[in-house]
Amino acid sequence: MNLNQHMPMFIKATVNVFKEMLDLKVSSGQVENEGEGFLSQGFTVMVGFCGGWRGWFFLDMSQATALKLTEILIGEQYQTVAEEEVLLSGAEVGNIISGNAITNINNSQPGLNIRLTPPSVFAGEDMSLFNVRLSAHSVIMQTEAGTIKINVVAEEGKG
Amino acid sequence: MDIKYINSFINGFLNVTEMMGISGLQRTGLSKKAKLRTDNDINIIIGLVGDIRGNVVLAMHEATACKIASTMMGGMPVEKFDAMPRSALSELANMMAGNSASQLEGLGVKTNITPPTLIHGQKMISLISQVETIVVTFNGNEGQIEINIATED
Repeated sequence: MNLNQHMPMFIKATVNVFKEMLDLKVSSGQVENEGEGFLSQGFTVMVGFCGGWRGWFFLDMSQATALKLTEILIGEQYQTVAEEEVLLSGAEVGNIISGNAITNINNSQPGLNIRLTPPSVFAGEDMSLFNVRLSAHSVIMQTEAGTIKINVVAEEGKG
Repeated sequence: MDIKYINSFINGFLNVTEMMGISGLQRTGLSKKAKLRTDNDINIIIGLVGDIRGNVVLAMHEATACKIASTMMGGMPVEKFDAMPRSALSELANMMAGNSASQLEGLGVKTNITPPTLIHGQKMISLISQVETIVVTFNGNEGQIEINIATED
């Protein structure tokens, strides 16, 4: 499995979802290989996959960006990411991006049958994430609400 | 959530910790997660897909994580939470999830698990699976460990 080859699916899904759900233009950077661990900007949405692939999709941003996205989605201002609506909004955006990308990947490779876990969100200070023995492919993207980063780690699953 | 599923996770955790030499663990609490903020700076999440869908998070303080890693490595001192304890704790969570998935399969519930992701940070807030989370707390020689179970079934 060559994850580099599939990163455009995740980039495209992110650009589309930000445009359609949030009316935000996204400009994408280059795909980079970050190794086993990466530092979070303070707010990370994560969706796992099982099936033909086993791994995770991460949508990472600063807490300020998460607050801005929530304001756009819900139409109300929130002061802190400790408010449940902020976590739920982030989870929803991450869920839709990963759902779109994985649907396209499944359609392009019949039999792969990747299925997604529900999204989880972690926010905090000095946060870092590790996936033992798996290398994260990441792309930094710029939006009007701030910098976002998508990371994907995956290995072949049992199907 | 069906209680028999929770028992599979509790048994999976106890089986694996015993195998790793982490003894004397006592279950000290079972509750619904009441707040989003967590005092635990180490969280290891594993996703579940199949007949039940959700996430399980093993959570603890950094000091507890270092002690567990030390026990897993035959008593070798672990003073800093670096690559070695990260790897050991991820493996523990992976084995726990695998053992729990086997137990669930014994009940006729087929589940696949994701690889573990370890999240290390301060002043953390978490929302797991967007559903009600059950927290099972254990106390042992190494400190307190929590299993957060959030599944849709």
